[in-house]
Amino acid sequence: MKQRMVCALVLSLVSCWANAVEGDPQPSVMWEYFHERLLNNAEFVFDEKVQVSVPPFAEDARQVPVEVDARALTGRVEKIMLWAELNPIPQVLNVYPSAELEKFLAVRIRVEQATPIRAAFLMDDGIWHVGSARIEAAGGGCTAPSVVRAQEGWEDHLGEILGARFNTGDNSRLRLSVSHPMDNGLVDSIPEFYLDQAELRDLSGAVLARLEIFSAISENPTITLGIKGQPETQLWLRDNNGNEFTAHIP
Amino acid sequence: MRYLFIFCCSFFLSLSAVADYQLTPKKIAENTWLVEGSTDNFSLHNGGNIVNAAFIVTDHGVVVVDTGPSFAYGKVLRAAIASVTDKPVIQVLLTHHHPDHVLGNQAFDDVPIAALAGTKKLLQEQGNYMAENMYRVVGDAMRGTEVLLPTQLVEEGLMEIGGHPLRLLSLTGHTGADLAILDERTGVLFAGDLVFYQRALATPNTPGLAAWLADIDTLEKLPWKLIVPGHGPLATDHQPFVQMRDYLNWLDSALREAAQAGQDMNQVLRMPIPERFAGVSLTRYELIRTVSHLYPRYEQQQWQRLDQ
Ligand SMILES: [Zn+2]
Repeated sequence: MKQRMVCALVLSLVSCWANAVEGDPQPSVMWEYFHERLLNNAEFVFDEKVQVSVPPFAEDARQVPVEVDARALTGRVEKIMLWAELNPIPQVLNVYPSAELEKFLAVRIRVEQATPIRAAFLMDDGIWHVGSARIEAAGGGCTAPSVVRAQEGWEDHLGEILGARFNTGDNSRLRLSVSHPMDNGLVDSIPEFYLDQAELRDLSGAVLARLEIFSAISENPTITLGIKGQPETQLWLRDNNGNEFTAHIP
Repeated sequence: MRYLFIFCCSFFLSLSAVADYQLTPKKIAENTWLVEGSTDNFSLHNGGNIVNAAFIVTDHGVVVVDTGPSFAYGKVLRAAIASVTDKPVIQVLLTHHHPDHVLGNQAFDDVPIAALAGTKKLLQEQGNYMAENMYRVVGDAMRGTEVLLPTQLVEEGLMEIGGHPLRLLSLTGHTGADLAILDERTGVLFAGDLVFYQRALATPNTPGLAAWLADIDTLEKLPWKLIVPGHGPLATDHQPFVQMRDYLNWLDSALREAAQAGQDMNQVLRMPIPERFAGVSLTRYELIRTVSHLYPRYEQQQWQRLDQ
């Protein structure tokens, strides 16, 4: 974790002589860095069809809701990356969706300070389509003490999954919340302990979406995914300690 | 130009925090005075003066209801009291632990400061964090302000002071520990933040909107003649209760319906606010906060255990 902190520090120094890129709806000196580091300098376009929504301010910096709606994009999605540029742990989520997934997701994240939020969709044309938003925050979401750990017996609830599938016309919205402290290693010398992998599968076990999860996601993660049709699905999750959890979503 | 204006404002603010509060007590009933705040949000310009403070000049001395958002406010409040009476301040009553109501306590450190036990506990737990927040938002007007805990605990019942029988009610809707005070001599009801009027209600500590609705029923049944809301204008009619009930019911059903439809928070905080609340200030701002405070509970009501 220390390495990441140092990394963030170096980044903020670098940013002194970096410049925002033209056409960026959320001009940020960090764009070039993340373009290189996360998108491998690949071709990209800032695309209004990728709508990233956040509240105008973070009432609770530990639970900031982020919604990504790119249903206006046509074509197949290879990969989705979501990050908060000025966070000590910027990366939030990577999704590798099948064609069964709608181009819609929502998740709650921690933010340490006001920051641009980016969602990048790698489409089958090989171009990253990037949507942006900016959250205002007084800060402290990444370094605030855990609410989960403050509750007696929280270990007994580890991996409990609450949720439901909601019909939205022809399609569905899966809403899921997992009991987990999502320790990011930045608080009270508690080591990293967080969900890092998930798969949404159909009942035959075929993967509908694979998710790489980072500890920028809030404790007791709440995630919403759009899925085509009204299928029953299963969710598989694993944390960095090797605990596995499964759920059946009727 | 706008930035120059803001710069100048902050410059003058920094000259003297104490001089910034213009507190003019307004007589609202026999022996009873109101110091009315704006219905805006906290800002550098208002020094956090968004709150209604009040005082009663009894035969034995002055009873103060809430001390305002800062040490400086408390001092100006005390000077304002002295401008209308020679009687000493003998008692402070705090309606609840929120910073805009209690951070003037230091100016009254020579008299008993009374509150519900729950209020003291909440202020102990959250006071410093809330004060830090106020420093960030309100700035220099907060200079020298520290949390001073209540020095006296009160319970539901009658408190008789200098010819004013004060009926104390221990309620919960706004913060879990809310003191409402009915002066049985004048019929003035000091409702604290259980009643917001023409200003959207704030929910960071509410145990739930149902509890708040129950408190509104309790308060409305009291034999009051004049309502002093925690925020917003005075009223002699039922309108504040009508508005609170309407707003709480709308909020409750809107959040439930959103959760039933499987909406995530961003969709909920964009929802239309009914036209009839157009005269209520800060509705969108408080809705955004309320979604953060309360929506997870509404979500959970719609979810099942799915793990295997
Ligand atoms: Zn309050």
